[in-house]
Amino acid sequence: MLNRLFATLALILASIAPALAESGDPERGAVIAFTCSGCHGIPFYNNAYPTYSVPRLGGQNEGYIISALKAYRSGERKHTTMQAQANTLSDQDIADIAAYFVSLSGNSE
Amino acid sequence: MKLHFKISNIQSRRQLFGSMHALRISLLVVVLSAFSLATTSVMASGNPARGQELAGQVCASCHGADGNMALADDYPILAGQHRDYLVVALKAYRSGDRENAIMGSFAQNLSDQDIEDLAAWFARQEGLGELGFD
Repeated sequence: MLNRLFATLALILASIAPALAESGDPERGAVIAFTCSGCHGIPFYNNAYPTYSVPRLGGQNEGYIISALKAYRSGERKHTTMQAQANTLSDQDIADIAAYFVSLSGNSE
Repeated sequence: MKLHFKISNIQSRRQLFGSMHALRISLLVVVLSAFSLATTSVMASGNPARGQELAGQVCASCHGADGNMALADDYPILAGQHRDYLVVALKAYRSGDRENAIMGSFAQNLSDQDIEDLAAWFARQEGLGELGFD
């Protein structure tokens, strides 16, 4: 009986733990993301060679930011500056940054 | 006398060089402004009305007709994204530089004009904003 209770508790904890690790802390994200503002916080800032506007991220989906940063980190998505930045980020850093970006309202809000 | 001649010669050369320089600069200004006019009109050639129509057929089921919906959480919001960034992203999907099975196959069917039109449409919608650091 007790064993079963422990097993159930362990199962519940095991299912919660990854969710906890994945959920980002927007306040910590705001501190880490300060670097991002150097390019993404300046309206109409241009990427150099080829020249195009650096994408707007305010209000972007949390899951998209996470998958984009992880793709840059693994090298699956290529961009010299973004790969260099993403290389320094842990999974938790990425989750925190994404939680912060999604908390910023876009134009429509 | 000889020295005086040399100096005046140098001065007139400088004057000549100065006026040539001014001429070159003004020519450069004319050429550059013509070039920037030409590129602006080419870059702004997207037709948002046609983009809206195409978006309704191709993009809407995942991104919403105005780019403010995401079928899955890891799909991006497109509304309000920079027009030129959207063009770069779609062309990268089309060429395979940016790898994504779903977007790659959709982008394969888009012409340059389709891409310009779609980008013009999504960029005009209310949505994404700059990162506000306050």
